[in-house]
Amino acid sequence: MTDERPARPSAAPATKRSAGSGLLGYALGALGRRRSKAIALGGGLALVVALVGAVLFLTDALRADADRARAAVPDVVVQRLVGGRPALLGDGDAARIAGIDGVRTMRPRVWGYLFLPALQGNVTIVGSDPSLSDLRPALSDGRDAAPGAHEMIVGVTLARALGLVVGDELQLPPLSATPSPPLKLVGTFATDVDLYTADVILCGDDDARLVLGLPAGAITDLALTVANPAETRIVARTVLERLPGTRVIERDLLGRVYALAYGRRAGLVLAASIPALLALLILAWDRASGLGAEEKREIAVLKAVGWSTSDILWSKIFEALLVGGAATALGLVAAYVWVFPLGAPGLRPALVGFSVLYPEAPLTPMVDVTQLVALALAVVAPFVGLSIVPAWRAATLDPVEAMRG
Amino acid sequence: MTRPRIMLGALVLALPAAVSAIALHARAQRAKRDEAQPAIAAVARRLPSSDLALSGGARWLRMPSLEEPGAAFADGPALPDPDPAGGVMSPPRDAWTHETRLGPARAR
Repeated sequence: MTDERPARPSAAPATKRSAGSGLLGYALGALGRRRSKAIALGGGLALVVALVGAVLFLTDALRADADRARAAVPDVVVQRLVGGRPALLGDGDAARIAGIDGVRTMRPRVWGYLFLPALQGNVTIVGSDPSLSDLRPALSDGRDAAPGAHEMIVGVTLARALGLVVGDELQLPPLSATPSPPLKLVGTFATDVDLYTADVILCGDDDARLVLGLPAGAITDLALTVANPAETRIVARTVLERLPGTRVIERDLLGRVYALAYGRRAGLVLAASIPALLALLILAWDRASGLGAEEKREIAVLKAVGWSTSDILWSKIFEALLVGGAATALGLVAAYVWVFPLGAPGLRPALVGFSVLYPEAPLTPMVDVTQLVALALAVVAPFVGLSIVPAWRAATLDPVEAMRG
Repeated sequence: MTRPRIMLGALVLALPAAVSAIALHARAQRAKRDEAQPAIAAVARRLPSSDLALSGGARWLRMPSLEEPGAAFADGPALPDPDPAGGVMSPPRDAWTHETRLGPARAR
Protein backbone atom coordinates (compact mmCIF):
# COMPACT_ATOMS: atom_id res chain seq x y z
CA MET A 1 0.00 0.00 0.00
CA THR A 2 2.65 2.49 0.98
CA ASP A 3 5.51 2.08 -1.46
CA GLU A 4 6.94 5.49 -0.61
CA ARG A 5 7.39 4.90 3.08
CA PRO A 6 8.26 8.27 4.64
CA ALA A 7 11.09 8.87 7.04
CA ARG A 8 9.71 8.47 10.51
CA PRO A 9 8.62 11.93 11.59
CA SER A 10 10.25 12.99 14.80
CA ALA A 11 10.16 15.98 17.07
CA ALA A 12 13.95 16.05 17.37
CA PRO A 13 15.41 19.25 15.81
CA ALA A 14 18.16 17.40 13.91
CA THR A 15 15.67 15.26 12.03
CA LYS A 16 12.99 17.91 11.44
CA ARG A 17 14.09 18.58 7.88
CA SER A 18 14.21 14.94 6.86
CA ALA A 19 10.83 14.37 8.50
CA GLY A 20 9.41 17.31 6.54
CA SER A 21 10.77 16.09 3.22
CA GLY A 22 9.57 12.59 4.10
CA LEU A 23 6.07 13.88 4.64
CA LEU A 24 6.29 15.84 1.38
CA GLY A 25 7.40 12.69 -0.41
CA TYR A 26 4.57 10.73 1.16
CA ALA A 27 2.10 13.45 0.08
CA LEU A 28 3.36 13.14 -3.50
CA GLY A 29 2.98 9.35 -3.35
CA ALA A 30 -0.55 9.72 -2.02
CA LEU A 31 -1.41 12.09 -4.87
CA GLY A 32 -0.03 9.56 -7.33
CA ARG A 33 -2.18 6.79 -5.85
CA ARG A 34 -5.30 8.98 -6.17
CA ARG A 35 -4.34 10.55 -9.46
CA SER A 36 -7.84 11.03 -10.87
CA LYS A 37 -8.99 12.91 -7.76
CA ALA A 38 -5.89 15.10 -7.82
CA ILE A 39 -6.35 15.88 -11.51
CA ALA A 40 -10.05 16.71 -11.03
CA LEU A 41 -9.28 19.07 -8.14
CA GLY A 42 -6.23 20.64 -9.75
CA GLY A 43 -7.91 20.98 -13.14
CA GLY A 44 -10.94 22.76 -11.65
CA LEU A 45 -8.73 25.10 -9.68
CA ALA A 46 -6.53 25.81 -12.70
CA LEU A 47 -9.63 26.71 -14.75
CA VAL A 48 -10.82 29.16 -12.09
CA VAL A 49 -7.36 30.77 -11.85
CA ALA A 50 -7.11 30.99 -15.65
CA LEU A 51 -10.49 32.74 -15.97
CA VAL A 52 -9.98 35.22 -13.13
CA GLY A 53 -6.34 35.82 -14.08
CA ALA A 54 -7.17 36.41 -17.74
CA VAL A 55 -9.85 39.00 -16.90
CA LEU A 56 -7.43 40.85 -14.59
CA PHE A 57 -4.51 40.68 -17.04
CA LEU A 58 -6.66 41.91 -19.93
CA THR A 59 -8.24 44.75 -17.95
CA ASP A 60 -4.88 45.98 -16.69
CA ALA A 61 -3.39 45.87 -20.18
CA LEU A 62 -6.27 47.85 -21.72
CA ARG A 63 -6.26 50.47 -18.99
CA ALA A 64 -2.49 50.89 -19.25
CA ASP A 65 -2.59 51.34 -23.02
CA ALA A 66 -5.30 53.98 -22.73
CA ASP A 67 -3.27 55.74 -20.03
CA ARG A 68 -0.11 55.56 -22.14
CA ALA A 69 -1.50 58.13 -24.57
CA ARG A 70 -3.24 60.29 -21.97
CA ALA A 71 -0.26 62.60 -21.40
CA ALA A 72 -0.48 63.87 -24.99
CA VAL A 73 -4.18 64.70 -24.76
CA PRO A 74 -5.19 68.40 -24.41
CA ASP A 75 -5.66 69.71 -20.87
CA VAL A 76 -9.22 70.83 -21.57
CA VAL A 77 -11.74 69.93 -24.29
CA VAL A 78 -14.78 72.14 -24.86
CA GLN A 79 -17.91 70.75 -26.48
CA ARG A 80 -21.35 72.24 -27.07
CA LEU A 81 -24.49 70.49 -25.93
CA VAL A 82 -27.89 71.35 -27.39
CA GLY A 83 -30.87 69.59 -25.89
CA GLY A 84 -28.49 67.24 -24.12
CA ARG A 85 -26.87 66.14 -27.36
CA PRO A 86 -23.43 67.09 -28.71
CA ALA A 87 -23.65 69.94 -31.22
CA LEU A 88 -21.23 71.89 -33.36
CA LEU A 89 -19.25 74.94 -32.29
CA GLY A 90 -18.43 77.85 -34.57
CA ASP A 91 -15.63 80.36 -35.13
CA GLY A 92 -17.46 82.83 -32.87
CA ASP A 93 -17.29 80.40 -29.95
CA ALA A 94 -13.56 79.97 -30.43
CA ALA A 95 -13.08 83.72 -30.46
CA ARG A 96 -14.97 84.12 -27.14
CA ILE A 97 -12.58 81.89 -25.23
CA ALA A 98 -9.42 82.75 -27.12
CA GLY A 99 -8.35 85.43 -24.67
CA ILE A 100 -8.71 83.51 -21.40
CA ASP A 101 -5.69 84.00 -19.15
CA GLY A 102 -3.64 80.87 -18.68
CA VAL A 103 -4.65 79.27 -21.99
CA ARG A 104 -1.45 78.59 -23.90
CA THR A 105 -2.94 77.20 -27.13
CA MET A 106 -6.42 76.67 -28.49
CA ARG A 107 -7.12 74.41 -31.44
CA PRO A 108 -10.48 73.97 -33.13
CA ARG A 109 -10.89 70.29 -34.02
CA VAL A 110 -12.99 68.60 -36.65
CA TRP A 111 -13.77 64.92 -36.27
CA GLY A 112 -16.67 62.51 -36.48
CA TYR A 113 -17.82 59.13 -37.66
CA LEU A 114 -18.71 57.76 -41.05
CA PHE A 115 -20.47 54.48 -41.77
CA LEU A 116 -18.81 52.55 -44.55
CA PRO A 117 -21.27 50.08 -46.07
CA ALA A 118 -18.36 48.24 -47.67
CA LEU A 119 -17.05 47.43 -44.20
CA GLN A 120 -20.40 47.38 -42.44
CA GLY A 121 -18.78 49.44 -39.74
CA ASN A 122 -17.87 52.96 -38.69
CA VAL A 123 -14.60 54.72 -39.31
CA THR A 124 -13.39 57.79 -37.44
CA ILE A 125 -12.61 60.81 -39.61
CA VAL A 126 -10.16 63.18 -37.93
CA GLY A 127 -9.10 66.56 -39.26
CA SER A 128 -5.44 67.06 -38.56
CA ASP A 129 -2.83 69.79 -38.49
CA PRO A 130 0.70 68.60 -39.41
CA SER A 131 2.23 71.28 -37.17
CA LEU A 132 0.90 69.49 -34.07
CA SER A 133 3.38 66.63 -34.09
CA ASP A 134 5.91 64.86 -36.26
CA LEU A 135 4.12 61.69 -37.30
CA ARG A 136 7.15 59.94 -38.81
CA PRO A 137 7.79 57.64 -35.81
CA ALA A 138 4.15 56.52 -35.98
CA LEU A 139 4.06 55.67 -39.70
CA SER A 140 4.96 52.29 -41.11
CA ASP A 141 4.74 53.47 -44.66
CA GLY A 142 4.64 56.79 -46.54
CA ARG A 143 4.57 60.32 -45.10
CA ASP A 144 2.36 62.85 -43.32
CA ALA A 145 -0.59 64.35 -45.20
CA ALA A 146 0.01 67.83 -46.64
CA PRO A 147 -2.63 70.47 -45.80
CA GLY A 148 -5.13 71.21 -48.59
CA ALA A 149 -3.79 68.44 -50.85
CA HIS A 150 -6.72 66.01 -50.33
CA GLU A 151 -4.41 63.47 -48.74
CA MET A 152 -4.98 61.06 -45.88
CA ILE A 153 -3.27 58.66 -43.51
CA VAL A 154 -5.17 55.58 -42.31
CA GLY A 155 -4.71 52.91 -39.67
CA VAL A 156 -3.10 49.69 -40.82
CA THR A 157 -6.18 47.63 -39.94
CA LEU A 158 -8.46 49.90 -41.97
CA ALA A 159 -6.01 49.97 -44.91
CA ARG A 160 -5.99 46.17 -44.99
CA ALA A 161 -9.77 45.95 -44.64
CA LEU A 162 -10.23 48.28 -47.63
CA GLY A 163 -7.32 46.81 -49.58
CA LEU A 164 -5.55 50.17 -49.77
CA VAL A 165 -1.86 50.78 -50.36
CA VAL A 166 0.04 54.06 -50.38
CA GLY A 167 -0.78 55.95 -53.59
CA ASP A 168 -4.38 54.70 -53.84
CA GLU A 169 -7.33 57.10 -53.82
CA LEU A 170 -10.48 56.59 -51.80
CA GLN A 171 -13.85 58.16 -52.55
CA LEU A 172 -15.81 58.10 -49.31
CA PRO A 173 -19.62 57.91 -49.42
CA PRO A 174 -21.11 61.44 -49.17
CA LEU A 175 -22.97 62.56 -46.06
CA SER A 176 -24.29 65.76 -47.68
CA ALA A 177 -25.25 67.11 -51.08
CA THR A 178 -21.69 68.30 -51.65
CA PRO A 179 -19.54 65.31 -52.54
CA SER A 180 -16.18 65.05 -50.84
CA PRO A 181 -13.05 64.92 -52.99
CA PRO A 182 -11.25 61.58 -53.41
CA LEU A 183 -8.52 61.31 -50.77
CA LYS A 184 -5.10 60.02 -51.70
CA LEU A 185 -3.46 57.63 -49.25
CA VAL A 186 0.01 58.94 -48.47
CA GLY A 187 0.80 56.97 -45.32
CA THR A 188 -0.32 54.18 -43.00
CA PHE A 189 0.10 54.10 -39.25
CA ALA A 190 2.46 51.54 -37.72
CA THR A 191 1.13 48.47 -35.93
CA ASP A 192 2.57 49.88 -32.68
CA VAL A 193 -0.14 52.55 -32.65
CA ASP A 194 -2.92 50.40 -34.10
CA LEU A 195 -4.72 50.31 -30.75
CA TYR A 196 -5.42 54.03 -31.28
CA THR A 197 -5.65 54.23 -35.06
CA ALA A 198 -7.23 50.99 -36.30
CA ASP A 199 -10.34 52.79 -37.59
CA VAL A 200 -8.90 56.28 -38.15
CA ILE A 201 -8.74 58.30 -41.35
CA LEU A 202 -6.55 61.36 -40.74
CA CYS A 203 -6.94 64.17 -43.30
CA GLY A 204 -7.05 67.95 -43.53
CA ASP A 205 -9.72 69.88 -41.59
CA ASP A 206 -11.52 71.02 -44.77
CA ASP A 207 -11.55 67.50 -46.20
CA ALA A 208 -12.86 66.18 -42.88
CA ARG A 209 -15.72 68.72 -42.99
CA LEU A 210 -16.64 67.71 -46.52
CA VAL A 211 -16.52 64.00 -45.73
CA LEU A 212 -18.56 64.45 -42.55
CA GLY A 213 -21.04 66.82 -44.18
CA LEU A 214 -20.25 69.71 -41.81
CA PRO A 215 -20.74 73.34 -42.91
CA ALA A 216 -17.65 75.47 -43.56
CA GLY A 217 -16.15 76.79 -40.34
CA ALA A 218 -17.95 74.23 -38.15
CA ILE A 219 -15.95 72.84 -35.24
CA THR A 220 -16.56 69.56 -33.41
CA ASP A 221 -14.78 70.69 -30.26
CA LEU A 222 -12.03 72.98 -28.99
CA ALA A 223 -8.80 71.62 -27.50
CA LEU A 224 -7.05 73.88 -25.00
CA THR A 225 -3.63 73.51 -23.44
CA VAL A 226 -3.10 75.36 -20.19
CA ALA A 227 0.18 77.04 -19.24
CA ASN A 228 -0.05 75.95 -15.62
CA PRO A 229 -1.81 72.59 -15.10
CA ALA A 230 -2.80 73.69 -11.59
CA GLU A 231 -5.03 76.34 -13.20
CA THR A 232 -6.98 73.88 -15.34
CA ARG A 233 -10.02 74.01 -13.05
CA ILE A 234 -10.06 77.84 -13.16
CA VAL A 235 -9.75 77.86 -16.95
CA ALA A 236 -12.60 75.34 -17.20
CA ARG A 237 -14.80 77.53 -15.01
CA THR A 238 -14.01 80.61 -17.10
CA VAL A 239 -14.87 78.73 -20.31
CA LEU A 240 -18.26 77.80 -18.83
CA GLU A 241 -18.90 81.43 -17.89
CA ARG A 242 -18.08 82.67 -21.40
CA LEU A 243 -19.79 79.83 -23.24
CA PRO A 244 -22.81 78.73 -21.19
CA GLY A 245 -24.23 75.40 -22.32
CA THR A 246 -20.90 73.89 -23.19
CA ARG A 247 -19.39 70.79 -21.64
CA VAL A 248 -15.82 71.08 -20.44
CA ILE A 249 -13.79 67.88 -20.08
CA GLU A 250 -10.52 67.98 -18.18
CA ARG A 251 -7.69 65.57 -18.93
CA ASP A 252 -7.36 64.52 -15.32
CA LEU A 253 -10.84 63.01 -15.49
CA LEU A 254 -9.86 60.69 -18.33
CA GLY A 255 -7.83 58.44 -16.02
CA ARG A 256 -10.89 57.99 -13.83
CA VAL A 257 -13.05 57.26 -16.89
CA TYR A 258 -10.66 54.51 -18.02
CA ALA A 259 -10.46 53.02 -14.54
CA LEU A 260 -14.27 53.05 -14.36
CA ALA A 261 -14.84 51.73 -17.86
CA TYR A 262 -12.47 48.79 -17.77
CA GLY A 263 -12.86 48.08 -14.05
CA ARG A 264 -16.62 47.91 -14.37
CA ARG A 265 -16.45 45.70 -17.43
CA ALA A 266 -14.05 43.33 -15.68
CA GLY A 267 -16.36 43.30 -12.66
CA LEU A 268 -19.36 42.44 -14.83
CA VAL A 269 -17.53 39.59 -16.55
CA LEU A 270 -16.33 38.21 -13.21
CA ALA A 271 -19.80 38.64 -11.68
CA ALA A 272 -21.31 36.73 -14.59
CA SER A 273 -18.80 33.95 -13.93
CA ILE A 274 -19.59 33.67 -10.20
CA PRO A 275 -22.19 30.86 -10.49
CA ALA A 276 -19.78 28.77 -12.56
CA LEU A 277 -16.90 29.49 -10.17
CA LEU A 278 -19.04 28.61 -7.14
CA ALA A 279 -20.20 25.38 -8.75
CA LEU A 280 -16.60 24.46 -9.41
CA LEU A 281 -15.51 25.28 -5.87
CA ILE A 282 -18.39 23.28 -4.36
CA LEU A 283 -17.42 20.33 -6.53
CA ALA A 284 -13.79 20.71 -5.46
CA TRP A 285 -14.79 20.90 -1.79
CA ASP A 286 -16.93 17.79 -2.18
CA ARG A 287 -14.05 15.91 -3.77
CA ALA A 288 -11.54 17.15 -1.21
CA SER A 289 -13.64 16.44 1.87
CA GLY A 290 -14.72 12.92 1.00
CA LEU A 291 -12.45 10.18 2.38
CA GLY A 292 -12.60 6.95 0.42
CA ALA A 293 -12.46 3.55 2.08
CA GLU A 294 -8.97 2.93 0.75
CA GLU A 295 -7.74 6.28 2.05
CA LYS A 296 -9.24 5.58 5.48
CA ARG A 297 -7.50 2.21 5.61
CA GLU A 298 -4.22 3.80 4.60
CA ILE A 299 -4.46 6.36 7.41
CA ALA A 300 -5.35 3.63 9.87
CA VAL A 301 -2.24 1.67 8.92
CA LEU A 302 -0.07 4.78 9.26
CA LYS A 303 -1.46 5.45 12.74
CA ALA A 304 -1.02 1.82 13.67
CA VAL A 305 2.69 1.97 12.74
CA GLY A 306 3.21 5.02 14.89
CA TRP A 307 2.33 8.14 12.89
CA SER A 308 1.00 10.94 15.03
CA THR A 309 -2.12 12.99 14.29
CA SER A 310 0.17 15.92 13.48
CA ASP A 311 2.13 13.89 10.90
CA ILE A 312 -1.04 12.88 9.09
CA LEU A 313 -2.43 16.41 9.27
CA TRP A 314 0.78 17.80 7.76
CA SER A 315 0.88 15.18 5.01
CA LYS A 316 -2.69 16.13 4.02
CA ILE A 317 -1.80 19.83 4.06
CA PHE A 318 1.26 19.12 1.89
CA GLU A 319 -1.04 17.31 -0.55
CA ALA A 320 -3.24 20.41 -0.75
CA LEU A 321 -0.18 22.65 -1.16
CA LEU A 322 1.21 20.54 -3.99
CA VAL A 323 -2.12 20.41 -5.84
CA GLY A 324 -2.95 24.08 -5.15
CA GLY A 325 0.51 25.34 -6.11
CA ALA A 326 0.74 23.34 -9.31
CA ALA A 327 -2.85 24.18 -10.34
CA THR A 328 -2.30 27.88 -9.66
CA ALA A 329 0.90 27.84 -11.70
CA LEU A 330 -0.91 26.12 -14.56
CA GLY A 331 -3.82 28.58 -14.33
CA LEU A 332 -1.55 31.64 -14.33
CA VAL A 333 0.42 30.41 -17.33
CA ALA A 334 -2.81 29.53 -19.17
CA ALA A 335 -4.28 32.99 -18.44
CA TYR A 336 -1.13 34.75 -19.62
CA VAL A 337 -0.87 32.73 -22.83
CA TRP A 338 -4.61 33.13 -23.49
CA VAL A 339 -4.52 36.93 -23.15
CA PHE A 340 -1.17 37.96 -24.59
CA PRO A 341 0.24 35.57 -27.21
CA LEU A 342 -3.25 34.39 -28.28
CA GLY A 343 -5.07 37.76 -27.94
CA ALA A 344 -7.78 36.54 -25.50
CA PRO A 345 -10.12 34.83 -27.99
CA GLY A 346 -13.62 34.62 -26.55
CA LEU A 347 -12.85 36.95 -23.67
CA ARG A 348 -11.84 40.10 -25.55
CA PRO A 349 -15.23 40.76 -27.17
CA ALA A 350 -16.96 40.31 -23.81
CA LEU A 351 -14.67 42.83 -22.14
CA VAL A 352 -14.08 45.46 -24.78
CA GLY A 353 -17.07 45.30 -27.09
CA PHE A 354 -17.45 44.08 -30.61
CA SER A 355 -16.12 46.02 -33.56
CA VAL A 356 -15.69 45.37 -37.24
CA LEU A 357 -12.24 46.94 -37.22
CA TYR A 358 -10.40 45.33 -34.34
CA PRO A 359 -6.87 46.60 -33.76
CA GLU A 360 -4.21 44.11 -34.74
CA ALA A 361 -1.67 45.21 -32.15
CA PRO A 362 -1.02 42.74 -29.35
CA LEU A 363 -1.65 43.94 -25.82
CA THR A 364 1.20 44.73 -23.44
CA PRO A 365 1.19 42.83 -20.14
CA MET A 366 1.27 45.07 -17.08
CA VAL A 367 1.37 42.28 -14.52
CA ASP A 368 4.32 42.20 -12.10
CA VAL A 369 5.64 39.90 -9.37
CA THR A 370 3.60 41.57 -6.61
CA GLN A 371 0.30 41.07 -8.46
CA LEU A 372 1.16 37.49 -9.38
CA VAL A 373 2.14 36.58 -5.83
CA ALA A 374 -1.02 38.25 -4.49
CA LEU A 375 -3.16 36.31 -6.97
CA ALA A 376 -1.38 33.04 -6.15
CA LEU A 377 -1.79 33.60 -2.41
CA ALA A 378 -5.45 34.51 -2.87
CA VAL A 379 -5.99 31.08 -4.47
CA VAL A 380 -3.60 28.78 -2.62
CA ALA A 381 -4.25 30.05 0.92
CA PRO A 382 -8.05 29.47 0.88
CA PHE A 383 -7.54 26.15 -0.91
CA VAL A 384 -5.15 24.91 1.77
CA GLY A 385 -7.42 26.40 4.44
CA LEU A 386 -10.37 24.46 3.04
CA SER A 387 -8.34 21.26 3.10
CA ILE A 388 -7.65 21.51 6.86
CA VAL A 389 -11.09 20.25 7.94
CA PRO A 390 -10.97 17.05 5.86
CA ALA A 391 -7.32 16.66 6.87
CA TRP A 392 -8.25 16.90 10.53
CA ARG A 393 -11.06 14.38 10.05
CA ALA A 394 -8.56 12.05 8.41
CA ALA A 395 -5.95 12.56 11.10
CA THR A 396 -8.32 11.84 14.00
CA LEU A 397 -9.67 8.58 12.58
CA ASP A 398 -9.66 5.71 15.02
CA PRO A 399 -7.29 3.16 13.36
CA VAL A 400 -9.13 0.10 14.63
CA GLU A 401 -12.50 1.34 13.43
CA ALA A 402 -11.06 2.42 10.10
CA MET A 403 -9.43 -0.94 9.48
CA ARG A 404 -12.66 -2.73 10.31
CA GLY A 405 -14.29 -0.59 7.60
CA MET B 1 17.94 11.68 -8.80
CA THR B 2 14.91 9.37 -8.69
CA ARG B 3 11.75 10.01 -10.65
CA PRO B 4 9.58 10.74 -7.59
CA ARG B 5 12.15 13.29 -6.40
CA ILE B 6 12.14 14.99 -9.80
CA MET B 7 8.35 15.01 -9.78
CA LEU B 8 8.31 16.43 -6.27
CA GLY B 9 10.82 19.13 -7.22
CA ALA B 10 8.78 20.05 -10.29
CA LEU B 11 5.55 20.37 -8.28
CA VAL B 12 7.19 22.40 -5.51
CA LEU B 13 8.92 24.73 -7.96
CA ALA B 14 6.00 25.05 -10.42
CA LEU B 15 4.46 28.13 -8.82
CA PRO B 16 7.66 30.14 -8.21
CA ALA B 17 8.85 29.24 -11.70
CA ALA B 18 5.56 30.27 -13.30
CA VAL B 19 5.45 33.57 -11.39
CA SER B 20 9.07 34.37 -12.28
CA ALA B 21 8.69 33.45 -15.95
CA ILE B 22 5.51 35.50 -16.38
CA ALA B 23 6.97 38.51 -14.55
CA LEU B 24 10.16 38.44 -16.62
CA HIS B 25 8.32 38.06 -19.91
CA ALA B 26 5.90 40.84 -19.01
CA ARG B 27 8.80 43.14 -18.09
CA ALA B 28 10.48 42.49 -21.43
CA GLN B 29 7.22 43.20 -23.27
CA ARG B 30 6.76 46.46 -21.36
CA ALA B 31 10.29 47.56 -22.23
CA LYS B 32 9.55 46.82 -25.87
CA ARG B 33 6.30 48.79 -25.68
CA ASP B 34 8.12 51.74 -24.09
CA GLU B 35 10.15 52.06 -27.29
CA ALA B 36 6.91 52.89 -29.11
CA GLN B 37 6.09 55.74 -26.69
CA PRO B 38 7.27 58.56 -29.04
CA ALA B 39 5.04 57.19 -31.80
CA ILE B 40 2.09 56.90 -29.42
CA ALA B 41 2.59 60.47 -28.20
CA ALA B 42 2.82 61.78 -31.77
CA VAL B 43 -0.43 60.09 -32.75
CA ALA B 44 -2.27 61.01 -29.55
CA ARG B 45 -1.66 64.72 -30.22
CA ARG B 46 -3.56 64.40 -33.50
CA LEU B 47 -6.49 62.33 -32.22
CA PRO B 48 -9.59 63.59 -30.40
CA SER B 49 -8.73 61.55 -27.30
CA SER B 50 -6.54 58.70 -26.11
CA ASP B 51 -9.43 56.22 -26.22
CA LEU B 52 -8.57 52.86 -27.71
CA ALA B 53 -10.05 51.87 -31.07
CA LEU B 54 -11.98 48.98 -29.59
CA SER B 55 -15.69 49.35 -30.03
CA GLY B 56 -16.87 51.85 -32.57
CA GLY B 57 -20.00 49.72 -32.94
CA ALA B 58 -23.62 50.66 -33.15
CA ARG B 59 -23.63 53.67 -30.85
CA TRP B 60 -21.03 55.55 -32.87
CA LEU B 61 -19.05 56.08 -29.70
CA ARG B 62 -15.44 55.65 -30.56
CA MET B 63 -14.37 58.22 -27.98
CA PRO B 64 -16.36 57.31 -24.87
CA SER B 65 -14.30 59.55 -22.60
CA LEU B 66 -15.55 62.58 -24.57
CA GLU B 67 -19.01 61.33 -25.42
CA GLU B 68 -20.40 59.00 -22.78
CA PRO B 69 -22.11 61.57 -20.57
CA GLY B 70 -24.26 62.73 -23.46
CA ALA B 71 -24.50 59.53 -25.40
CA ALA B 72 -27.73 58.14 -26.68
CA PHE B 73 -28.79 54.86 -25.05
CA ALA B 74 -26.04 54.84 -22.43
CA ASP B 75 -27.30 53.26 -19.21
CA GLY B 76 -24.62 55.07 -17.23
CA PRO B 77 -21.17 56.55 -17.55
CA ALA B 78 -18.75 54.04 -19.03
CA LEU B 79 -21.25 51.20 -18.92
CA PRO B 80 -20.77 48.58 -21.61
CA ASP B 81 -23.00 48.83 -24.63
CA PRO B 82 -25.89 46.47 -24.14
CA ASP B 83 -26.46 45.76 -27.78
CA PRO B 84 -24.57 44.98 -29.85
CA ALA B 85 -21.23 46.41 -28.68
CA GLY B 86 -20.04 44.95 -25.42
CA GLY B 87 -21.90 41.74 -25.92
CA VAL B 88 -20.21 38.41 -26.32
CA MET B 89 -21.87 37.96 -29.68
CA SER B 90 -22.06 40.48 -32.49
CA PRO B 91 -25.38 41.01 -34.30
CA PRO B 92 -25.98 38.90 -37.39
CA ARG B 93 -24.42 40.26 -40.58
CA ASP B 94 -27.84 39.95 -42.27
CA ALA B 95 -28.91 42.96 -40.21
CA TRP B 96 -26.94 45.17 -42.59
CA THR B 97 -27.95 43.54 -45.85
CA HIS B 98 -30.36 46.34 -46.65
CA GLU B 99 -27.77 48.99 -45.71
CA THR B 100 -25.25 47.45 -48.06
CA ARG B 101 -27.75 47.45 -50.91
CA LEU B 102 -28.41 51.17 -50.45
CA GLY B 103 -24.74 52.13 -50.43
CA PRO B 104 -22.09 51.64 -53.09
CA ALA B 105 -20.83 48.12 -53.59
CA ARG B 106 -17.40 49.18 -52.33
CA ALA B 107 -16.41 52.42 -50.66
CA ARG B 108 -13.43 52.69 -52.89
